Amino acid sequence: MAAADGTVDDAAVPAGQPAKAGPAWWYPYALIAPAMITFVIISLVPFIYTIFISFHEMKFARLGDFAGFDNYTALLTDSRFWNSMKIAGIFVAIAVPLEFMLGLLGALLLNRPLYGRSILVPFLFIPSMMAPIVVGLLWKIMLAGSWGLLSTNIIEPLGLIGDSSIFASPNLALYALIFVDVWQWTPFMMLAFYAGLQALPVNPYRAAAVDGASPLQSFIRLTLPMLAPLLVVIGLLRLIDAFKVFDSIFVLTGGGPGTSTEMPSVLAYKMTFEFWNLGEASALAVIVWLIFFAFCNVFYQLAKRKLNAF
Amino acid sequence: MVSISSRRRRTGSALGLAFVLCAGPAAADWSYKTAAEPYQGVTIRVLDEITPLQETLATLVPQFTEETGIEVDYELLNHFEVINKGQADLLSGRGYYDAIMLHGFQLGPMLSAEVLRPIDDLLADEALQSPEFDAADMIEPAYSTTAAFGDKRYGLINWNYNQIYWARKDLFENPDEMAAFKDKYGYELAPPETFTQLRDIAEFFTRPAGTTLAGETLDSDFYGIVMEGVKGGSTFLSLWGNFIKSYGGDIVDADGKPTFDSPENIEAIVAWADLWQFAPPGMAEYSLLDVPTVMGNGIAAQAIAWSDFVLGIDQPGAAPYAGKFIYAGMPHKEGMEAERSVEGETSVTAISVHSEHPEATFLFLQWLAERRQQEALLEAGNGGVPIRNSSWALPVMQEGELAGLFSAMEDSLKVIVAKPKMPDFYELYDVLTGISQEIGLGALTPEEGAAKAQAAMLDICETCLLD
Amino acid sequence: MSASSPDGPSPLRKLAWTVGAVLIAVLILFPVVWMGLMMIKPTDAMFARPTVWLFTPTLEHFDYVVERGFHVYLLTSLVLGAVSTLLVVIIGTPAAYAFARFEMRFRDDLFLFILATRMAPPVCLVIPYYLIFAKLGLLDTFLGLTLAYMTFNLSFYIWVLRSFCRDLPVELEEAAMLEGWSRLAVFRRVVFPLLRNGIIATSVLCFIFAWNEFLFAFMLGGKNVHTLPVAIPTLITAQGVRWGEMAVVGMVALTPVMLAVFLLQRHIVRGLTMGAVKG
Repeated sequence: MAAADGTVDDAAVPAGQPAKAGPAWWYPYALIAPAMITFVIISLVPFIYTIFISFHEMKFARLGDFAGFDNYTALLTDSRFWNSMKIAGIFVAIAVPLEFMLGLLGALLLNRPLYGRSILVPFLFIPSMMAPIVVGLLWKIMLAGSWGLLSTNIIEPLGLIGDSSIFASPNLALYALIFVDVWQWTPFMMLAFYAGLQALPVNPYRAAAVDGASPLQSFIRLTLPMLAPLLVVIGLLRLIDAFKVFDSIFVLTGGGPGTSTEMPSVLAYKMTFEFWNLGEASALAVIVWLIFFAFCNVFYQLAKRKLNAF
Repeated sequence: MVSISSRRRRTGSALGLAFVLCAGPAAADWSYKTAAEPYQGVTIRVLDEITPLQETLATLVPQFTEETGIEVDYELLNHFEVINKGQADLLSGRGYYDAIMLHGFQLGPMLSAEVLRPIDDLLADEALQSPEFDAADMIEPAYSTTAAFGDKRYGLINWNYNQIYWARKDLFENPDEMAAFKDKYGYELAPPETFTQLRDIAEFFTRPAGTTLAGETLDSDFYGIVMEGVKGGSTFLSLWGNFIKSYGGDIVDADGKPTFDSPENIEAIVAWADLWQFAPPGMAEYSLLDVPTVMGNGIAAQAIAWSDFVLGIDQPGAAPYAGKFIYAGMPHKEGMEAERSVEGETSVTAISVHSEHPEATFLFLQWLAERRQQEALLEAGNGGVPIRNSSWALPVMQEGELAGLFSAMEDSLKVIVAKPKMPDFYELYDVLTGISQEIGLGALTPEEGAAKAQAAMLDICETCLLD
Repeated sequence: MSASSPDGPSPLRKLAWTVGAVLIAVLILFPVVWMGLMMIKPTDAMFARPTVWLFTPTLEHFDYVVERGFHVYLLTSLVLGAVSTLLVVIIGTPAAYAFARFEMRFRDDLFLFILATRMAPPVCLVIPYYLIFAKLGLLDTFLGLTLAYMTFNLSFYIWVLRSFCRDLPVELEEAAMLEGWSRLAVFRRVVFPLLRNGIIATSVLCFIFAWNEFLFAFMLGGKNVHTLPVAIPTLITAQGVRWGEMAVVGMVALTPVMLAVFLLQRHIVRGLTMGAVKG
């Protein structure tokens, strides 16, 4: 291991360009083939089936008549669907940047000289290791109106939120769920970024130190650009996942009060497991997929050109 | 195995008369062992909901295998999962489970999907019929309204979940509180007979921190009542079954047409929404997790709750206020005692159309519902929700710690009927629970809410009953 | 902020950073500590008002958990998580490397296709999966769930690992090639060791996704393949939540993952600052 480290230290030009000594043309395809075949079998086939269902009537699990775009029209004219998209938009727009920034700060902190770092890392990572349903229950225990630990000891004696409880308030419930999401996923971002920091080559920093660059300067000039690919990828993946959050909402608010926390996944859950309207649920899957596909395409091109992230 | 069983059935119906003639003597030496002879070694899979009751029941199941040689894979899942997984199994045609526990409200959607096997032929099959079963002993109208639809029966009832009135005995028996109550309202403090009394008591016991309750100074707010208020759960079921129907209203008429904005309904919703001011401010987030916790930790004076909730709280060591409770049947509207209605979720275990062993499964379900097993279940002391009238006379029901609870259950079960069979139950419920929560929170007036609910119902179904 | 100068940190500064980090950790982990206490708290003291801080510990919650066989679920989760993660590493590593290193026709499109496989909400897909699995007899099988877990983990792995691959110095590979090493030898003996940081970190994250996954495990699993996250909701019954047992399961479920992170991170740490100090 020490030898490997030594070699990395010696040759430290951030790469990313195709190798000059070109391999046989089929070599890269052979490398990706197992993965692509797996994707076709386990993801593409079921997804095509889902698209197929979305063009049919499918109440309960029986495939009915061809329905054209009926499921899509039903969904797109449903104000609840748009409401859920709006809520998901707010959720993602607040939660992901917060997780991103706090995660990065945490990773930089972990990267400082610390005693007992090897103990600290697993402990700080705990929230992300917990099953989402346990996280939901844990925050119920903390914040439930009239019996939650923080409610009875801090929030209610101080009269912080007046005549309601956090998850019963249409104004607060969504932000409380965002808080829970941030609590749960910031450590995840932190660990990913921390690993990224650890993998950065060392030589550029030596050079910067010789030039007398301040830590802030070397962070902006070296760390950020070199870490950019990882930051972008982790951020994007978290964004996609945050959009699909379900368990904590299910435990804490059930989508209420009213429809104030009814995210698309909550709606999709109802369509699937309660209404068994699989045609419309599939249409929802396809629409969400399309939105992300468009978004990721644009994002990918942008990140590729501006940040050289891909 | 299958061919043998179907042959038996055919013989049974073809030689109907002969069988009736032999029924008497045959019944005398009927036993599960002989009835199960053709199904020796068969494994049936049964899915049920997990609570301490079913966990107790699970300990009885091996006896059935011992008696019959039929193996039973008895699987327990949580409330939501038993619904999701059970329905997925039925609807997809996978047919992994032979029988699945279905709450009354699930029957409308499942019957409309035609995935439940009628059991009339099994009930009529002399070879399968246990002389001990005694259908007349089943609690009515719960059994028939749940299991029967049209001229067919689907499954035997096995869980009579029901709501009851739950209150703090120590408060109701405190002399100071009793005197103060009588001064203020002009009648004795006791479990309420009517909704007006329920409201009076809720108002009376709602006190801010710093005031006294039963002679002690409160260090945090105390509330007059707690009910479920979360979106989903059984928030609307409680409003519908206990209030709306007791006020003479309903959400559909006899033809299944939505009647949500009727004057009776609005009056009932007003009474229900009025109670929210005496409830903890967080009631809109309260689900079945919270109501028992609030009662068990002395945060509210009364509750309308599922009687089986109580079993997790009112036991030594289960909660600080265990042993300090009193139970009663549900209040009714003044002058309308005859209309009294109580919310209940009577549940059957129904046989899947995909089951390859309906006879063996039927034997198991019949065995479970029999008096011996029901008595063993109740006598295990983990509580229970009786399905048989004879169960009420058991010593454990009459003299045990929870005798008061069982008597309240008995009172509720006198009037509990199953949910009407509605194919779109879930769509309706989803809309109605959201609207009732908004009414409770004051975001909608009862009139606005009723109008909105009516429109939403009409949007889902013009006639909402299965025909 | 100028702590990490090449002169190396003074013990005092190091102590200050450590104290700060520990304080943050304590604040974040307070709810978890509370849950830890619930493991040994008598049921009637669980949510009593005023809050009970001191109590006689009890082990009753552990009894139920063991009796119900939660250790079997834990083992299932461990094996399933480990096997599916291992498969993802084997299949995903060459792909991530190829996407980072080589020109390919439609490279960007293929790469985006990979991400596209995880864009739709799983709750909409789980019934189609259920129907397909039912037809193929994959429901409630180890293989079925392993495949299902790869749907979300393989894409994650390839995308994240690819950004680690970009940091690999291409010169080393070229040098090895000039030595006459085969492509395979280069991949195995140069690329793989250099990627270890990334592989370990990314596979830990994948393992966690598998470890906590609920929806697929619940719908596509069953009595034979019963994972821990699926067992947890059975503690929430209509008679209330078995809070103490929930705390036990929640906390015990942390230990194998924490242990894994603790052991594996030693392979990740190749400190920036350490390197700078050496320089």
